[in-house]
Amino acid sequence: MKMFITVILTASLFLGFAMPSADVITVKGSDTMVILAQRWAEIYMAKHPGVTIQVTGGGSGVGISALINGTTDICIASRPMKQSEINKLKARFNVLGVEIKTAKDGLSIYVNESSPVREVSIDQLKKIYTGEITNWRDVGGPDAKIIIYGRENSSGTYVYFKDNVLDGADFSPMTQTMPGTAAVVNAVAKDKLGIGYGGAAYGKGIRYANVKKDAKSPAYEPTEENIKNGNYPIARYLYMYTRNRPTGALKSFVDWILSAEGQQVVTKVGYFPVR
Amino acid sequence: MKRLCCTILVVYSLVVHAQEKDTTSASLQEKVTELKEQADGLNEQLLTLTPIVDALKKIKISGYIQSQFQVADADGVGSFAGGNFAAGVHSRYQVRRGRLKVNYDNDLTQFVLQVDATPGGVAIKDAYVSLKEPWTRTFGLTAGVFDRPFGFEISYSSSNREAPERTRMYQTLFPGERDMGAKLEITPPETSPMNWFNFKAGFFTGMGPTAQENDNYKDLIGRAGFLLPMRDAGLEIDGGVSWYLGKVRSNQRAVYKMDGDAKTFAYDSTVANIGSYFDRTYIGADVQLYYEIPVLGGMTVRGEYISGKQPGTGGNSATSNYSSFYNVAGTALYQRNFSGFYVNYVQNVGLSNQFIVKYDEFTPNSDASSNDIGATTPVGKIALTAGDLKFTTLGLGWIYHWDSNVKFTIYYDMVTNDKVNSSAPAVLAAFKDDIKDNVFTARVQYKF
Repeated sequence: MKMFITVILTASLFLGFAMPSADVITVKGSDTMVILAQRWAEIYMAKHPGVTIQVTGGGSGVGISALINGTTDICIASRPMKQSEINKLKARFNVLGVEIKTAKDGLSIYVNESSPVREVSIDQLKKIYTGEITNWRDVGGPDAKIIIYGRENSSGTYVYFKDNVLDGADFSPMTQTMPGTAAVVNAVAKDKLGIGYGGAAYGKGIRYANVKKDAKSPAYEPTEENIKNGNYPIARYLYMYTRNRPTGALKSFVDWILSAEGQQVVTKVGYFPVR
Repeated sequence: MKRLCCTILVVYSLVVHAQEKDTTSASLQEKVTELKEQADGLNEQLLTLTPIVDALKKIKISGYIQSQFQVADADGVGSFAGGNFAAGVHSRYQVRRGRLKVNYDNDLTQFVLQVDATPGGVAIKDAYVSLKEPWTRTFGLTAGVFDRPFGFEISYSSSNREAPERTRMYQTLFPGERDMGAKLEITPPETSPMNWFNFKAGFFTGMGPTAQENDNYKDLIGRAGFLLPMRDAGLEIDGGVSWYLGKVRSNQRAVYKMDGDAKTFAYDSTVANIGSYFDRTYIGADVQLYYEIPVLGGMTVRGEYISGKQPGTGGNSATSNYSSFYNVAGTALYQRNFSGFYVNYVQNVGLSNQFIVKYDEFTPNSDASSNDIGATTPVGKIALTAGDLKFTTLGLGWIYHWDSNVKFTIYYDMVTNDKVNSSAPAVLAAFKDDIKDNVFTARVQYKF
C-alpha cells in the first residue's frame, strides 16, 4: 500500500494535473458552421485580445470525435450527438456533454440557376437521392438525367439529410460526394442537371428549390419566417457541444455567442438566430 | 528622314508587340485547355475511385495492447488480477491483452472478427454476424461468438474499463465473457419515444466461446435495460435487470448439494444423476450513474448485484468446460447458491486524470458462513472447501491519459478472504488468516 501511494504521488508530481488552458479555445467540426464559427471567433478575439480561438472544419462527425478524444474544447455540429457518441463520452469522461443550440438553419435544396424546377416534395427528394427517380422529367424538369451531389458521411448535414429526408435509407451509389457544402454549391452552379443540399448560408450563385412536406402541401422557401414558424419542412438547429459545463474563457465565449451581438453574427452569415 | 525612321520603328514595335500578345493569349488558351483536360481526367479517376473508397470505408480496424508489470505480496499467489502467479514468482511482466478487431460495417449488416494475440497464444474473442431489419431499425439479430447479454461489466470493453480486470464474481461466473449462440436485440431508434428502453436476449451453448456443445439444452441469457438522461442537470442513470436460465448435465452419478441445516454438502449418488440436468441460474441488477461535478469533472458510480445457483466443483465454484469435467474422478458437480456485488467510483479530474475506487464481494456459497468452513463435519456429510470461501477486494487506482491513444494505469488490489474455522485441517490452514495476495499493477495501453 505504501508503495502504491508513493508511486501515485511521484507520478502525479512528475506529470502534473494539467488542466486545459483557459485562454486558447479550440473549435472543430461542422463544415456548415465553420464560416459562422470563424466570424464569431474573429469578432470575439478582436474584443478580447487575451483569448485565442482556433477554428477548423472537417465535419460534425470529426468534431464530435475530437470532443471525445479530448482534442477540441468545442465541437460545432449541424446534427445532434448520437447515443453511441454520448456513450463514448461517458466511457472516457463520465459526462454526457453539454448541448448548446446556437442557430437555426433551413437545409436548402440547390439547383442550377437555369433549372426550370421550382419546387420539390420531401418524397421526391427521397426518391431522387435513393436513386428511384433519375430523370428531371419526373419532377417537372427537362428529359435529362439528374446528377446528384451530396456530402461525405462524416458530415452532420449528410446525417441530418439521411435521417430526416431519406428516413434512414441509403444514398444512391450515383451520389457524388463533395468535401464541403461550398463544394456542393460550386458543383451545382456548374452543372445544369445538378441537385445538391446544404446550409442556407452557402446558397450564393445558385437557386433554391422550394420544399413541400408532401404532394398536397404548399412549397416553402428557406426564409427566416418560414423556418421560425415551422413551415419549412427541413429546418434544423446548429449546435455547439462542450464536454463539461463551460467555465472561465470558454463560458464567456459561449455566453457571448448567445448574446444579441453573437446572434447578430448568425444573421449576417445567413443563418437564423435562436434568441 | 528621322521622322520616317521613327514612324517605321514605332509601327514595327507595335506589330511585334501585337503578335507577341496574340502568341501569349493563344498559349494561355492552350494551357487552360490542357489543364481543363487534366482536371476532367482527374475527375473521371475520382468518380472511379469514389465507390472503391466508399467500400473500403466500411472496413473498420481497431485494436489495443495492454502491457503490464505486477508485484504480488507473496510468491505463487492465486490471483484474479491477470491470473495466478507462477510458483516461486511474485513479480512479472505480462502482455495482458493484444486485441485486433476487424469490423465490416454495412449499416444494417455487420461482420465482426476479433482475435487476442499474446505470448500465451492466439484466441478468437469475437466472431459474429449482426443484422438489423430495415423497416423500423429496431430489431436486430446477432449470431456467432460474442459477449453474453448479461449485466454491465461483461460488455464494458477492457480497453475502456478503469480497473485492470473484471471482478472476481464476473470472472468466476462468466470466464472469457463470450459464449456461442444467437440473440435478438430490441433497440428503438433515437427518434422513438421508447428510446430509453433496450432489450437483448438469446440462447447460448453455455460452454464458453470455444468448447464443443455437449448437450441439447441451450441457456437463455438476457437483459432489459433503460437509459434515463437528464441532460440539463448533467445527470444520467442507466440500468437493467439480467437473467441466466441455464442447465448443465452431469456425466457421473456423484452430485453434491448443500445441506442447509448441517452447513455441509450432502452426497447424492443416484444412478439417475448420470445424464441429468442441474440448474445454472442467475438473476442480476445493475445501475450506472453519471454526473458532472462542477470544476472537477465527470464522475460515475456503478453497481451490480448477482445471485443464483452455480454448478461448480469441490474446490472451485468457477464456470468451467462442463463437457468432460465431471467424468474426472474427484471433480463431480457441486451445487451452490451464491451472491456477489461490486460498487465502482470513477472521478475524472481535468482532461487527463481519472481516479478509481472499486469494491467487490463474492460469496460463492451463501448457505454457509466462513466459520462453517473447516468445522467438524457430521458423519455422512461432505466438508466445505476453500471454494466456499468469501472474498472481498478493494481496488484503488489512477489513470493518466497521455493522449487519445495511450493511457497509463497504476492500480492496487487489496484482497481479503474470510477466515475459516480455527479448527480447520491443514489443507485450509492458510485461510485462518488473510492470505498475502494483494497485487500492484502498472499498465500501459495503446489503443487505436
